Amino acid sequence: MLPFSLYFVTAVVTGFHMYALLSVVVYGVPLNPLELVSWLGSFCLLVAAYVSLFRPRAAARVALIACLAMWCFYAPAMANFVRAKRDKSPAVSQWMCPPGGAARDTPWRIETACL
Amino acid sequence: MLLPYLAIVLLAVVTLYSAVVSFRQKPDGEPAATGWVFPHGTNGTARIFVGVATLLLAIGLGAWFKINGSSVNPNSIPRSWRFLIPEGYRGWVRVEFEIPGAPPLPAEAGQTVLKIPPTGLLRTSSPEQYGWAKDDYVFYASGGLQPIPDSGAGKLIWGKINNSEESGSSGKRRYEEFFVGTQQQFKDQAEQSRPNDSPKDSHVPAAIP
Repeated sequence: MLPFSLYFVTAVVTGFHMYALLSVVVYGVPLNPLELVSWLGSFCLLVAAYVSLFRPRAAARVALIACLAMWCFYAPAMANFVRAKRDKSPAVSQWMCPPGGAARDTPWRIETACL
Repeated sequence: MLLPYLAIVLLAVVTLYSAVVSFRQKPDGEPAATGWVFPHGTNGTARIFVGVATLLLAIGLGAWFKINGSSVNPNSIPRSWRFLIPEGYRGWVRVEFEIPGAPPLPAEAGQTVLKIPPTGLLRTSSPEQYGWAKDDYVFYASGGLQPIPDSGAGKLIWGKINNSEESGSSGKRRYEEFFVGTQQQFKDQAEQSRPNDSPKDSHVPAAIP
């Protein structure tokens, strides 16, 4: 029952996630074909869950192909997410040192940055 | 927003598990060990349990959609709207909902019909509808109906919003607004004052002559 549970839960969670992403198309967001590929992968994983009750090894191969299809979307999405986090633009209120190090007499500021 | 993280974690686990099961070598000459992590199959009881659970899930989902589907429930108002707009009208259209004493919206062919008067303001006692729907926009005149494009290059529907505002003694007033006209007319109108910016007692949208 472990393969069935694992494949089934993953198929439902990823399928719902893709459905939520695809549903914003009705608001005019462009359709990403990789989301469709990933959604198809979720469906294949659901099929693999039921196949695993009878032929676990064959189901594992189907599940592996389905997972690779899903990674087509998730891998670039994760890369974009990490890149966006790393290249985050500085906040508008970021502290800037005044010319001449005038901030030395304010001990609550990070003095070392201004010296 | 836990769902994407959960999906990625589960996907990583399943990828690893399915790869191990797919490429795992059976020991030669010995019966492969069975266990709950790498089972060779499922017994009949578990299969029956999964089959019955799937059947119950399918019935439950079907019943849920049947109960909540608006097309099946005859008492519910169709979500899809058909806006009838006077031919040649240009400017903001405003529909105010749940106005006491105002007429309800009629329904025809599975759509709620909103016939906008030449002033551009329609008041109705019907409630606002939420959910996914494809609305239609048509010009009406004595000669008949003419569809209004609401997408593409020649679209004439812009800036559709749903909102609510305080309306004195009657509490919150729910309304929907959109602009009828070309993109240039919409931009010109947007630079001027919006209908919301006008005094509260005069809710007649500004129409372009």
